[in-house]
Amino acid sequence: MHFSFPRWTNRFILVCLGTLAVGGLYVGAVIYAATAPETLNVGHEPKQPIPFSHKLHAGQLKLDCRYCHNTVDKAAHAAVPPSATCGNCHSGADSKGNVPYSSVRSESLLLTPLRQSLANQDPILWKRVHDLPDYVYFDHSAHVNRGVGCVSCHDRVDQMDVVSQAKTLSMTFCLDCHRNPEPHLRPLDKVTDLAWVPETSAEEVGKKIKEDLGIRPRTNCSTCHR
Amino acid sequence: MSSKTWYRSLAELENSTEFLELMHREFPKAASEFPKGVSRRRWLQLMGASLILGGAAGCRFEQDTLAPAATRPANRIPGKPKFYNTSFEIAGVAQALRATSYDGRPIKLDGNPDYAAVGGASTSYAQGTTLELYDPDRGRTPTQLQDRSAIARTWVDVDTFLAESAKGWSGSQGAELSVLAEPTSSPTIARLRTELQKRFPKATWFEHTAVDQSNSLRGAELAFGEVLRPQFDLSAAKVVVTIDCDLFGNHPDALQLIRQYSAGRAPAEGKMIRLYSVECEFTQAGMMADHRLGLRPSEIAGFLASVEAALSEDSIHEPAKSATYPQKVFAALVDDLRKHPGQSVIAVGPAQPAAVHALAHRINSQLQNIGKTVTFVRETNTTVNGSLADFVSHAQAGTCQELLILGGNPAYNAPADIDFAASIKSIPNRMHLSLAPNETSDLCNWFLSQSHPLECWSDCRLSDGTYGLGQPLIAPLFESRSTIEVLSSLLGLKVDGLNQVRRTAIEIDSGLKADKEWKRVVHSGFLADSAASTVSPKIKAFDGPQANDTWKAVAEVKNGDLELVFSNNSSVFDGRFANNAWLQELPHPLTKLTWGNAAVMSPKTAAALGVKDEDLVQLQVGKGKVEIPAYILPGQATGTVSVAIGYGRKKAGLVGGDTANDIAPVGVNVSPLRTSQTLHSVKGLKVTQTGRTQKLSATQDHYAIDKIGLEGIHERIGDLVREANLDEFLHHPDFAQHKVHHPPLESPWKEHSYDGHAWGMAIDLNKCIGCNACMIACQSENNVPVVGAEQVQQNREMHWLRVDRYFSGDPEQPTVITQPVTCHHCENAPCEQVCPVAATVHSDEGLNDMAYNRCIGTRYCGNNCPYKVRRFNFLDYRGELPGTNQDLTHLVLNPEVTVRSRGVMEKCTYCVQRIQNTRITASNKGRAIGANEIQSACQQVCPAQAIVFGDLNNPESAVAKAHADSRAYAMLEELNVKPRTKYLARIRNPHPWLASDQDEHDHGHSTPAHAMKTQDHRCGQEAHV
Repeated sequence: MHFSFPRWTNRFILVCLGTLAVGGLYVGAVIYAATAPETLNVGHEPKQPIPFSHKLHAGQLKLDCRYCHNTVDKAAHAAVPPSATCGNCHSGADSKGNVPYSSVRSESLLLTPLRQSLANQDPILWKRVHDLPDYVYFDHSAHVNRGVGCVSCHDRVDQMDVVSQAKTLSMTFCLDCHRNPEPHLRPLDKVTDLAWVPETSAEEVGKKIKEDLGIRPRTNCSTCHR
Repeated sequence: MSSKTWYRSLAELENSTEFLELMHREFPKAASEFPKGVSRRRWLQLMGASLILGGAAGCRFEQDTLAPAATRPANRIPGKPKFYNTSFEIAGVAQALRATSYDGRPIKLDGNPDYAAVGGASTSYAQGTTLELYDPDRGRTPTQLQDRSAIARTWVDVDTFLAESAKGWSGSQGAELSVLAEPTSSPTIARLRTELQKRFPKATWFEHTAVDQSNSLRGAELAFGEVLRPQFDLSAAKVVVTIDCDLFGNHPDALQLIRQYSAGRAPAEGKMIRLYSVECEFTQAGMMADHRLGLRPSEIAGFLASVEAALSEDSIHEPAKSATYPQKVFAALVDDLRKHPGQSVIAVGPAQPAAVHALAHRINSQLQNIGKTVTFVRETNTTVNGSLADFVSHAQAGTCQELLILGGNPAYNAPADIDFAASIKSIPNRMHLSLAPNETSDLCNWFLSQSHPLECWSDCRLSDGTYGLGQPLIAPLFESRSTIEVLSSLLGLKVDGLNQVRRTAIEIDSGLKADKEWKRVVHSGFLADSAASTVSPKIKAFDGPQANDTWKAVAEVKNGDLELVFSNNSSVFDGRFANNAWLQELPHPLTKLTWGNAAVMSPKTAAALGVKDEDLVQLQVGKGKVEIPAYILPGQATGTVSVAIGYGRKKAGLVGGDTANDIAPVGVNVSPLRTSQTLHSVKGLKVTQTGRTQKLSATQDHYAIDKIGLEGIHERIGDLVREANLDEFLHHPDFAQHKVHHPPLESPWKEHSYDGHAWGMAIDLNKCIGCNACMIACQSENNVPVVGAEQVQQNREMHWLRVDRYFSGDPEQPTVITQPVTCHHCENAPCEQVCPVAATVHSDEGLNDMAYNRCIGTRYCGNNCPYKVRRFNFLDYRGELPGTNQDLTHLVLNPEVTVRSRGVMEKCTYCVQRIQNTRITASNKGRAIGANEIQSACQQVCPAQAIVFGDLNNPESAVAKAHADSRAYAMLEELNVKPRTKYLARIRNPHPWLASDQDEHDHGHSTPAHAMKTQDHRCGQEAHV
């Protein structure tokens, strides 16, 4: 004889179906949220070999971004500076043991890797924070020469002790701006001024700059993918 | 509509069963079949980078490390390519080059555009040389073989060893020392050799090369009494005759001759050289010839002597209709030479004996060409050196204790009658300097790792005698030294290549003592105005070959009395490029063979011998026997068989074969048939069937569709490649645009306006010589993978650009046309309409963009492409190969182009990376992109300047002008796909006596096929495009 569920169990059918539906939605939502660029990309904050503080250098000391990232307006890469650039201020003792008068924190333990690098000419192995997939060809020079500020993608680095990724840098992020660039444009002399805010509306300022520089952002696949 | 029948191969022409079988499947084997065994895939994986970036960092992509130089060199911008001019010898020919270096690693070699004679063009060998630098089989350290075990040594050990040995020679003046080198034009090596002979007067120096060019020099000696090298100026010529001479292929001056020739074939400008080729195997010059005559090598001397005899007669008459084809070509040729004194060139190839060269000089002199189209320079390298045969007898005499072999591979390519291996056994110290260990290194007890020319200082003489300077772009990757450095060490000098080269340069021009002048030469790669001065020699009396009639008759095929020709025009040259996967996979211009050589014979020869394609046949000459698959090629001289040297290497490496490690050689070594007397050709060949067959990897019949498709192809070839004779062209300059008539083309949807840039390309079929340099330049620029022989047999080659070639006419004496085909970037692209994931879409500048990371590999686009230019990554062609250094093989990749992985479709992008980078550079400077500023990689390399690329909306651009040319036509325009690439029709320039012999061309509606097409136009409105 077959076993039949008693009639009273029928009331659970609805509950089971409901649980499945809710569970499915939940799993979907978790996968969606977990793989969203906001989750995967934002907040990436690797530990660097030297705890260099952008807040101190760019924020308080007001060093221009291009003092260190000096290829940003010439090349695709905003190159991480060579140790020699750091050494301009932080050089250690030379071979005779003399420390230049201008040297800042020449005995700091935290700067040991820098002094070693300067002495041996070995590179310091920095961790990349803002990393795009290899099939994306982003060019810094094309942006900073057209009035897109550093802050648009890197946020207020001048307020970060440890740099972390603040924007998603996803394809949507890029396309939002390429389709509607006006709010993100600023005068060329304000590109590295992270604190700059337009006096009038950003739209209006951006519209004028767009016309002046003849900016026509492209949204073809081959603009970024080659 | 042309009534010419065109065919791609004989199988296709005859509809053979194999071909029909091939046709029945879109791909000869099921597309997803995985090749069996690891060894079959070994080279697929050689070049590169697996894209699997490990999931170590969780869901986020891998943590990148940035390693900035501790001190950045001046003017170095990370990620920006730098360009350096350099000059060095590639395959024995000195070339002026410009290397692209990306963050310190050379990734591409092109011609030096500042060297005006060649102007930025380069050869496929030059393109392939980049890959050689990163060959995982290169020698890593000097190695000494002691008690059968190889011991890694340092160069200090080598220096000590050489110094110790030299001490022992001081009494005997170096009689124990022999050097066996490759011929070179390097003045520094010549100077060091002189110093060596001063220090050790009794030391001996020998030279060996598998590709012997001495006939030309000896011919000049016979004719003029001095060693001279002829140089041709085709820009002043109207009639060019090549006698067994591949002016556009393996001739040392090929690049500049191609350039001059293509400039001289501009019918609209009233310039039209007429080219005759009399030759045995089909060469690239023969492909371009207006009249090509295939003759056996032994008949050619008699032919040329008959030309001389006929020139001295009063007149020549039009041959009778019944005359044989050779007689007709002969009469036309003599008539043309007679009519163009001082404007003709007769060029003889290295395979012909010295007497034929001398005879050609006499005819050139008689026609007053010398000093005008033919000039002479003194050969700089006139030191009389011993040959390999001399070396062997010297070695057998027993005085030699120390042998230094500088490059080369005599153990592999020594003629069969010279037992090189046995002769050196008795020499106690045998040292071999070589890029990678090869067959010769195996016979030596010292292997010395050689630097790649991109790693060291060197110098050379370019073909016009200009002093060329080679500079290093990268420090040696391994413990290696250049030839110059090894000779310095042998002489006990300081090992400093730069210093040695500069000393030579100062001897040549004392102005280079000044650092500023020296830097200028390093910067430009050659010393300006240092070309050799030309001489005007006087002809002297000599006995040339006798005129005869043997060439007049149509040749008979007699087995046992065939002639065998050894050719060196394959992509592996003399075997030195056997381990170069790019070059191995580069199809031969005529046979379209990759990965191997074959016994090439004409259809008539094959029929008489009962041989079919891919039959394994035994070639026998005297005692030498070789088994090799047969390949039937229309146009090979009847009664001859040609085989390429340079294959069957047993110790080349992972790609070219390494029998000790169970890697089979590629192709067949034909050295057993080749003796020192028969380096170029030999009589008395016997061909016997073995009853077996062997697969060849030819790309010729690829992308066949089905029977209807095949009929369509036959019907359409004349529409795909359009051509006409000169007089027809002058009568109807726009004949090409009237070849196909179709109703007005209307689009079912609203079309883009393309008001910004509109990228386009034009390819001039009248200039294209089919040399394939564009294919390999594209491969180098765009990270195109190599797939290996088995995959090529399955139609899976990945070249973004292919060069189609079609034959027409008598299969024994056919004419050929070549046509490079890349993605046409159709404005109404059929591929885009069928992609389910929008992985291929159009840009607003008319590019057909590929977004690789969207592609899911349905291959619908490939099926729907009428040009069949899309390539699919059936396998991971860049997977890891155990035992190779991935970090090394990575280095050749162009970082500007995405590396594609398995399951992704790819195709020509019009070099979009160059477009984008030029656009960014221009806009950063606030200027517009120049009219001809962007060059595609194929355009840059093309010696014939057949390819132009640019903005169609810019009327100043070369491409806009080419599209407006009367010869311009679009392939398959009737499909309304609106391709952005247009071809310029080929114009042939036959002699009037022979014009009627060629198939007639007309602009009309005569053929049934065409009539059928026009009937379909119900509305009767014909649009002339």
